[in-house]
Amino acid sequence: MAKRPILGLFEDAEYAAEAGDALQQAGVSQSDYDFLTDTPYPEGAFGERHEGHRLYIFPLCGALVGLTVGILLTSMTQMAYPLVQAGKPILSLPPMAVVTYESTMLTAIIFTIIGIVFESRLPNFKQGLYDTRITEGYIGVLANVEEEQLPQVSALFTQAGAVDVVREN
Amino acid sequence: MQEGRTPIPYRQINRELLFSILQSPKWFPIAIIILGLIVLGGFSAAGLLVNKGFGVTGLNRPVMWGFFITNFVFWIGISHAGVMLSAILRLSKAEWRRPATRAAEILTVFSLMTAMMMPLIHTGRPWRTIYWIYTIPFMPYDYARGIWPNVRSPLVWDPSAVYTYLTSSILFVLVALIPDFAVLRDRTTGMNHRIYTMLAMGWRGNPRQWKLQIIAGVLLSALILPVFVSVHSIVSWDFGMAVSVKTWHSTIFAPYFVVGAVHSGVSAVAFVMIILRYIYGWQNYIRPEHIDALGRLLIVVATGWFYFFVMEILFGFYGREADELAVRDLQFMQEPWNIWMMVFVFTTYFLPVALWLPRAFRRNLWIMSVACISVNIGMWLERFIIIVPGLQNKQVFTFSWYTVYSPSAVEWTIIGATFALVSMLMLMIARVVPLIPLYDIKEYEVLRTEVKIGRVTVPAVYRED
Amino acid sequence: MAASESEHLHHGVAHGESHGGISGGHYPGMWVFPNPRVMTREMAAKVSAMPQMFTLGLLLTFALLVLGVVGFVARASADGFDDRAPWGYYMATFSFVFMVTSAAPVAAVAFRFTKSHWRRPLSRVSELFAVVGIFNIIMFIPMMMILPPILNPNPVQGHDLEIRRTIWFEGPIGAPHAWDLAGVVGLAVTALFILYLSAVPDMAEARHTATGFRGWLYRTLSGHWYGTKRQWNAQKAGLAMLGAFYFMTLIFVHFIISSDYAQSMIPGWKDSIFPVFYSLTAFQVALGLCLVILYVMRRWGGFQEYYGKSVFWSASKVQLGLTLLWAYHLFAFFITYWFGRLVVEQNIIKYLFAQSYGGVFVANLALSFVIPFLLLLWNPVRRSAWGPPLAGVSAALGALMFSVRVFVGGANSGNIYEAFLNHVPAAAYPDIWDIFIVVGGIGGAAFIYLVATKIFPLLSVWEVKEGALYQGMRRFIRGEYLVLAKPE
Repeated sequence: MAKRPILGLFEDAEYAAEAGDALQQAGVSQSDYDFLTDTPYPEGAFGERHEGHRLYIFPLCGALVGLTVGILLTSMTQMAYPLVQAGKPILSLPPMAVVTYESTMLTAIIFTIIGIVFESRLPNFKQGLYDTRITEGYIGVLANVEEEQLPQVSALFTQAGAVDVVREN
Repeated sequence: MQEGRTPIPYRQINRELLFSILQSPKWFPIAIIILGLIVLGGFSAAGLLVNKGFGVTGLNRPVMWGFFITNFVFWIGISHAGVMLSAILRLSKAEWRRPATRAAEILTVFSLMTAMMMPLIHTGRPWRTIYWIYTIPFMPYDYARGIWPNVRSPLVWDPSAVYTYLTSSILFVLVALIPDFAVLRDRTTGMNHRIYTMLAMGWRGNPRQWKLQIIAGVLLSALILPVFVSVHSIVSWDFGMAVSVKTWHSTIFAPYFVVGAVHSGVSAVAFVMIILRYIYGWQNYIRPEHIDALGRLLIVVATGWFYFFVMEILFGFYGREADELAVRDLQFMQEPWNIWMMVFVFTTYFLPVALWLPRAFRRNLWIMSVACISVNIGMWLERFIIIVPGLQNKQVFTFSWYTVYSPSAVEWTIIGATFALVSMLMLMIARVVPLIPLYDIKEYEVLRTEVKIGRVTVPAVYRED
Repeated sequence: MAASESEHLHHGVAHGESHGGISGGHYPGMWVFPNPRVMTREMAAKVSAMPQMFTLGLLLTFALLVLGVVGFVARASADGFDDRAPWGYYMATFSFVFMVTSAAPVAAVAFRFTKSHWRRPLSRVSELFAVVGIFNIIMFIPMMMILPPILNPNPVQGHDLEIRRTIWFEGPIGAPHAWDLAGVVGLAVTALFILYLSAVPDMAEARHTATGFRGWLYRTLSGHWYGTKRQWNAQKAGLAMLGAFYFMTLIFVHFIISSDYAQSMIPGWKDSIFPVFYSLTAFQVALGLCLVILYVMRRWGGFQEYYGKSVFWSASKVQLGLTLLWAYHLFAFFITYWFGRLVVEQNIIKYLFAQSYGGVFVANLALSFVIPFLLLLWNPVRRSAWGPPLAGVSAALGALMFSVRVFVGGANSGNIYEAFLNHVPAAAYPDIWDIFIVVGGIGGAAFIYLVATKIFPLLSVWEVKEGALYQGMRRFIRGEYLVLAKPE
């Protein structure tokens, strides 16, 4: 049977953390509930699971790609116009360095942006259960549980101090 | 630190910081029309220049770089504020950065765009700039009349650096905007709602997304910083690589230009923040202590700049080469340059630093505005004094009829229009995105705390390593 | 929402998980909160203790110093002071020691200025280099005799200049010798004042328990100090003002020393970025060596409870920044000269970078930039206690190579009154006396620093105690986090 989402809204971060504790005690796996906030809280503030990521690989790959493209582009361009200018060698490394540097940095940054979006699991236009009060400062605790568990989780949220519990229509 | 401020509820933060987007102030259309007319005037002047040719400007051999290139360097300089503030302050975890970052980054984007227009106009025939990017091997270049590109020229580096910086800055701004787009998505209806929904990309604000957002801020800052340094360095090398123009071929040019850019850029951001505070009533967010902190930072930057300036001048004399001394003589002894030189040094360093030193002055927004405008007048003049006298003395015996560069009305109009353009774009963007990052302000509300030491309560923050 | 309830901080050590992961946003060993009650006593014990390793170090550095003196005497008796060429390695040694000594106190000054809490364990380690400043002054005296006159004694030869290029132009009274000496002495004296002002509260605290020479010294120097509010305010204002003055003087003295003893020694070398580059190299090596001392004392000196990893982690960011700036300034010089392609520019590149001192330059680049950069790029390395000091060792060797390249190159460039360097001189290799001088200079500086650690403990006790008031751990919802308070 498919899992159904349920969202508890809390005014106080402490209560939201308590709801998290209660969910854990009720046997809900940490990967099945999430805290939705309007602002970053310090990592581990809600006792949530540690989120791993591989963001750092993206700029490295990007830099390597950019470096290669930069070297090829600048060296091939110089070789394609074999005219000596001011006594500089046809294949001059110092002028290559600048454009190569820029292409390395540009690609590293573009890859980082792709990495951030990818690792944040965006874009995801099927937003699912959500409440606009979250961007007013309420803390949402979103749980995905079996349908028969919904009343129990709802009660658990209320008990923890939720100001509202939202379910799918 | 925000001294002794009472906590602001999130609803109030949303209401106040989204004011510029969700409500339209009465003066808005009037301001846009006035600025738009000035911009239109600038475009008309540029049109006239394209139609009639360079004769309508005051440029003539040997001074072929005048107001346009000065203005180009000036706006590139202003663009350095964005990354300087948001990246360095983010990396150093300075709390007072919070209200300043977004406006600074957006100012970066618009001033870069404006800067890029300057060389385009300066070419006289902007459509031919398409050939600038046709310097790669498998693309055609304008060979037809035996013209060969100088692929080793610093003028090739320039667009590569500026486009890298522009692309990076835009992406940097957009990534940091995602959470704020989500706030707007939740507060708008109809077409606007659909647009913000798309821009927010389905942001929910779970710990993973926030973690990535925080790392992104730091990582992108670290990546953009070297780009930011390279951009103005490369602009300086447009001049510094030339041996033929005396006073330009100086090894210190790159860091000297970068520090100067930071000086003018941060001053510009401080001024923009004062304006934003005034027109949108953001007294709760842009507070005198923020402007004070910017003032203190500016004293350090200004003094650093002054050191580079002194080194540049001193080593100009150190060489004791006759042709360079002739240019220095022009800059320091001959009218009108000596007067401009005095005005430049006074307005760039001595006046503003004198105004920044007393704490009471740093917290007086009127005085801060005067100091920041003064810096930018001075920095504009600095570029002018570097560019024109050097060129004027290039090939002295060939152009002996040459007197002094005198900019025409067309040039004045175009330069004036660039200021109107950036102001207009800033006002227009304030209608679309929040110029103060909401989540950054809210984060401070979460992390702020206090420490009691005896009878004193000291403001404090929670920190991760 | 805001956790605004005023609480007192607690100073337990932040415990990480055993597998080295983070806990509540903290890495193990990152923050330590030493016990203020025992700090003074423990420091007094450390100052008076003479562990075997320390005694060995003291003897070794003293032996090196003796070698240096032998080398110096041999050099002076063999070559005299008329020609600057034989003194290249002496100049390079002076430059290296001077760079470290003069720039090190800036670490204390600058991070005090920015009110960075992490600096607290670093302050005294960096300030203590002020004592080595005395050694700098002694080493500088022969340098004055080496400097050729500004006016050309035989101005008729060929196209030689009548007045050689210097930053003093036609030479105001006493230039350059008296001004250079005034600069070096002024800097050393200011640094000593900073050390004194910073150490007064610590000396006052220990003046009744310390015995012998230390007791006498502490009582003499801190007799007036009672720690009144007025005294604290005066001390802080004094440190801030002296710090600002020191920094500005330092930049100026770096400028004159690097110009008089390196740049203006090579005819036609006009390089406005060089003084900046010199200062940057100095900051990089000085910060690096301070971290090396912190590491050594943490690892073997029993300072584990006083120096948390946060000092390495925070300083490493500055180190990385300096390393990148170093490479940037080098490139800014290089590209301008390479592009200019004047004969003198090409000769200088060949002389200092490509041919004569090409090998030294490659070593310099690798040690000052490539190795530190590749090390400091990685978060786990920067977060470790060994990574930043290792980069510091590399930067120190790099700075030595830099000094050799530029100062030995300057001394051996030939006729100083030439208008431009119109040939590429050969590299000058060190002889046995030069090697004695180099190891002796560095050993002598280390010896004096070691002696100084027996007068002042390697911890600014009042500063660390003050830090304990403003930082600590506190629970926030489900995690435990560092709380940093900043008084305005």
